Amino acid sequence: MKIELTVNGVARILEVEPEERLLDVLRERLHLTGTKEGCGEGECGACTVIMDGKTVNSCMVLAAQADGHAVTTIEGLGNRGSLHPVQKAFLEEGAVQCGFCTPGMVLSAKALLDRSPHPGKEQIAVAMSGNLCRCTGYDKILRAVERAAGEVKE
Amino acid sequence: MNGTVGGTVGGTVGGRVLREDAWGKVLGQAAFPADVRREGQIYAVAVRSPHAHARIRGLKLDEARKAEGVVAVLTSADVPHNGHGVLYRDQPVLVQDHVRMAGDPVVLVGAETLAEARTAAGLVEVDYEVLPGLFDPEEAMKEGVPALHPEIHGSTNIVYHLPVCKGNVAKGWAEAEVTVERDYQTQMLDHAFLQPEAVLAYVDERGHLVVEVATQYAHYDRGEIAHALGLKFNQVRVKTVSVGGAFGGREDISLQIMAALMAWRTLRPVKMENTREESFHSHSKRHPMRMHYKTGATRAGKLTVLEARIVGDAGAYASWSPNILRKAAIHATGPYEIPNVRVDAYAVLTNNPYTGAMRGFGAAQPVLAYESQMDLLARELGLSPMELRLRNICRVGSETATGQVLTGSVGMEECLKAVKSYLGEVSAR
Repeated sequence: MKIELTVNGVARILEVEPEERLLDVLRERLHLTGTKEGCGEGECGACTVIMDGKTVNSCMVLAAQADGHAVTTIEGLGNRGSLHPVQKAFLEEGAVQCGFCTPGMVLSAKALLDRSPHPGKEQIAVAMSGNLCRCTGYDKILRAVERAAGEVKE
Repeated sequence: MNGTVGGTVGGTVGGRVLREDAWGKVLGQAAFPADVRREGQIYAVAVRSPHAHARIRGLKLDEARKAEGVVAVLTSADVPHNGHGVLYRDQPVLVQDHVRMAGDPVVLVGAETLAEARTAAGLVEVDYEVLPGLFDPEEAMKEGVPALHPEIHGSTNIVYHLPVCKGNVAKGWAEAEVTVERDYQTQMLDHAFLQPEAVLAYVDERGHLVVEVATQYAHYDRGEIAHALGLKFNQVRVKTVSVGGAFGGREDISLQIMAALMAWRTLRPVKMENTREESFHSHSKRHPMRMHYKTGATRAGKLTVLEARIVGDAGAYASWSPNILRKAAIHATGPYEIPNVRVDAYAVLTNNPYTGAMRGFGAAQPVLAYESQMDLLARELGLSPMELRLRNICRVGSETATGQVLTGSVGMEECLKAVKSYLGEVSAR
């Protein structure tokens, strides 16, 4: 089946299988491997991407359901010369350890700050609650989001 | 920050530095093994035993071999030296006849796509004779119980026993005015590192076997791959890519040899990626320990004696069990000075998932027992838990149960005093 979607600002027309997931399209067809698969059942959040401004677990979204939508992956955020404020805050706070959860964490934080530039601690905790990290204990991740909020312009 | 990131703040020593690999990680560029690919790669899937203890009577592989996209179906007959392990080579690459735990790999299927490999794996038929399992380590350590690895450990399932003896326990009991005796048990845990195991294996332009993997132990992996495949060390290269968490769970072989074997046999690049469920079957767990503790003290709150028996469930394969139960034995007295000690620590094979390294490496489990004993003793003595500890902690000059005299860097007293104000009512209880 044919789907049309926008990925990181680029329009894509793809031929996909009915059982294919958005995660498979991103990783296997578009080679956007910054999106990770940790559990395949929507528990861990490593596959988080932003679809039309809202975070989704891309392992729980069929490719067909992404038809007509705009998707942002970690590759669509920043680069070495121009980091997104959330990426910069993660670096500076030391919120990165093994890094497998990081792309999903960064995207959850970005989606939060896009809709709510000055979130409270509680709001940040709720927004990040769908992303599991096994290394850090979360403290520095939550602080990085707070730090990014301080730098985000309204 | 004026848009810049980097630099060291606060001097070379004690300064804050940015983690260099964090750049690739925040940008989504860091490559974990599932993220690397090679032209012409095929996919391999392991068929694993659903039974914890079984004999394999036969394999039916014809349907799988005929299935669409299948490149190779491999069994134990294809493995030149069918064993690996950090201390004992007791774990088969592919089981020949004796399944010792649920999840043991039996057949390896390679196909052009992952979907084809999974479909073909589903067509493999394994004829199992299911055997009664040993799931209780205290049962498994009894005499006369069938041994799981007789060729390595003889007639016993006890792979390790360390006694730690100090002073004279009879004297210690004679001096004791208060005794606390309890049983404690910790549970099996999975590391649940976020990145499921994955491997890319291929034969490079020099004819060398290259294995790209997230591992804690690249040199060991190389040795085990070379040994199993009958190759020289210099024919095998293990490349550690980004490791998505490990916590001890990537110290043993998981998919490395299987992927390497498939690549060596087919001369195609081979990708193996675990699902989360397969990951649970693929790596070690934390040892559950059963701990019987008996502690004696004087009315004045001085410890006089400790006797403990610690039984660690090694599961089906030894992995690091001897080292882990050694550490449990050595740490069994905790940070307390006890003049008379007898500890016996055992590692026992069962048909449970095999256990190995995990954060603390055997030092974590006895904490439950020795600290609970201190709280119970404090209650018996009418002392605060804090006070009982202060009367017994190791200080500079103290001698541990293994006879080590601590000559420096013993921070217990300072630590207890520093946390005291945070404990509030707990310390007064």
